[in-house]
Amino acid sequence: MHESFRNMIFEEQAEVIANIHYPGDQFILRLKAPKTAQHAKPGQFIHIRVSPDRSLRRPISIMLTHPGKGTVDLLVKVVGDGTRELRDRAVGEILPLLGPIGRPFDLSDTARRYVMIGGGVGIPPMIFAADALNGQADTAVFAGSEVEFPFALKPSQFLLPGIGGNTILGIASLEERGIPSRLASNAELYGCYEGYVPDLARDYLMALGEAERSRCILLACGPHPMLHAVARLGRELNLSTQLSLEEYMACGIGGCAGCVVKTLEEDGEHYRRVCVDGPVFSADILPGFA
Amino acid sequence: MYVVTGLARQYKAYLIVIGGHRLGGRLAAMLHLMPDKPDLSVAFAGLKLQTPLVLLSGCVGFGEEYTRVEGFSNRDIGAVILKGTTLKPRLGNAPHRIYETPSGMLNAIGLQNPGARHVIEHILPHLPHDETQFWANANGSTLEEYAEVARLFDDSPVTAIEINISCPNVKEGGVHFGNDPVMAAKVVEAMRPMTKKPLITKLSPNNADIAETARCVIEAGSDALSVINTLVGMAVDIESRRPVIGNISGGLSGPAIKPVALWKLHQTRTIAAKHDIPILGQGGITNARDAIEFAITGADAIGLGTGLFYDPLLPRKVLDRLAEYLTAHNISNYTNLIGTLEIQA
Repeated sequence: MHESFRNMIFEEQAEVIANIHYPGDQFILRLKAPKTAQHAKPGQFIHIRVSPDRSLRRPISIMLTHPGKGTVDLLVKVVGDGTRELRDRAVGEILPLLGPIGRPFDLSDTARRYVMIGGGVGIPPMIFAADALNGQADTAVFAGSEVEFPFALKPSQFLLPGIGGNTILGIASLEERGIPSRLASNAELYGCYEGYVPDLARDYLMALGEAERSRCILLACGPHPMLHAVARLGRELNLSTQLSLEEYMACGIGGCAGCVVKTLEEDGEHYRRVCVDGPVFSADILPGFA
Repeated sequence: MYVVTGLARQYKAYLIVIGGHRLGGRLAAMLHLMPDKPDLSVAFAGLKLQTPLVLLSGCVGFGEEYTRVEGFSNRDIGAVILKGTTLKPRLGNAPHRIYETPSGMLNAIGLQNPGARHVIEHILPHLPHDETQFWANANGSTLEEYAEVARLFDDSPVTAIEINISCPNVKEGGVHFGNDPVMAAKVVEAMRPMTKKPLITKLSPNNADIAETARCVIEAGSDALSVINTLVGMAVDIESRRPVIGNISGGLSGPAIKPVALWKLHQTRTIAAKHDIPILGQGGITNARDAIEFAITGADAIGLGTGLFYDPLLPRKVLDRLAEYLTAHNISNYTNLIGTLEIQA
């Protein structure tokens, strides 16, 4: 009965391979975690011990995996003491992690167009999802940040409908793989849409023909106001919408029910666990996001 | 095999004679001459636990969550206590439900559960009862509800029922029973006729005299004690000036409460031993050394809860180190370690 459910999460003693700091207290960690790298899917996360003294691990979305090298990349922003300690971990240090955890994005319908909307440290799952689709489905990535983007950027070679002439920059690694992207910020960053990323995605969606628009699926990860805006957008345009959530988390494997979100399903209200019932949920069942 | 074992026993005895008790035991262990691994099984309220480790209610869902992790085995566990269960389903508290604190955490889950009938009909039949034992954790807002939950679980594969009279996170019932020895005893009295399964009463550290509560629930028919539940605490978000926990207060667990738990265990042990009642000791255990401290103080079984959040593979590590400790101290079985605390007059 439970054999398919067992042994799906790995405990790995992950070595810090790289820790590169970016403006805005952001950093990208590369960790050696071969089993996680081999099995992770877009939308899943790792649950990491940042130091032996902290009682709770920290859940962090996976940005990219390199199964051949056995490494996992994470983008983190310092938001408290735990992430600050993680920022200060040096190359060569060992951090225990659990991974990969959670219900990933559903990317199975390759006849659809995936419109990916990421904000801040919610951008990484979008990069992973776009990378995993690998051109098998039409994809457009929209990323928003109020601090400098921690990625190499380059002018996009792809025309996207509804996007203004000054919104020219995209994420270089995606562009090089043939995946169109655009950026949004209120921080007056060059080449970016001035405003919030859901509004940029909205301009794009509204410029698509109705038939093309109805083919779209929205994926989003980011701060709550952004997720609210994306949920509203999905409802307004009647588009299937998948949101990746975060919440304070203890066990990370479904044992404690500490990390819940309220859902409204056919049989009524529930609190579902963000760690294993999510972190990706259909916006249809999230009454708190509208 | 007998000859080899016999020789090894002789060598061990010889080493102990020449080196003194402790050194001899260590030398014997180093030379792998100990013939047998120490026996980690333990008797508990008429049950035989395959190891003294018990996974605590509220930390391990409805029994199978930890088997998601590669390397975790139910066979390392004496018993798994299922999440607190009420007669009717409970939605639980609004988030945030948990928050990290120095050397611990606060939680206020609010007894989210699908109700006793659902647990019995839809969850228990699918649990691997051949791998470990599963115990229920019964909750109620009234004496009648506690009794009915006991009656329902009596006709189920759980091998024992823990009584939660000390949950600090619901507005009614729970800790209100646990804080009053007389009310605590009434809960046990209400449940006792409803089941032949062992009843384990989980005591609150938040009342004035835990030993008195222990005495009352033992005399009311409790077969065992669980010591301790969480301590009540809170945390404040200084930007919003609101309590971090949605329920305002939460239960404090983790290493921060370990000294309190040991002291409460010590206070409870005398009355429990007098009635030959076993104790499931718990509170902030994150390694084998902690577990051994509890055993010495008088824990017949050892509860792991928040420690699993540190490390879901903690049980195997605790068992390995516990076995090493017993071998090094020339103790042949876990039972002989229980309650060996020496207090000088």
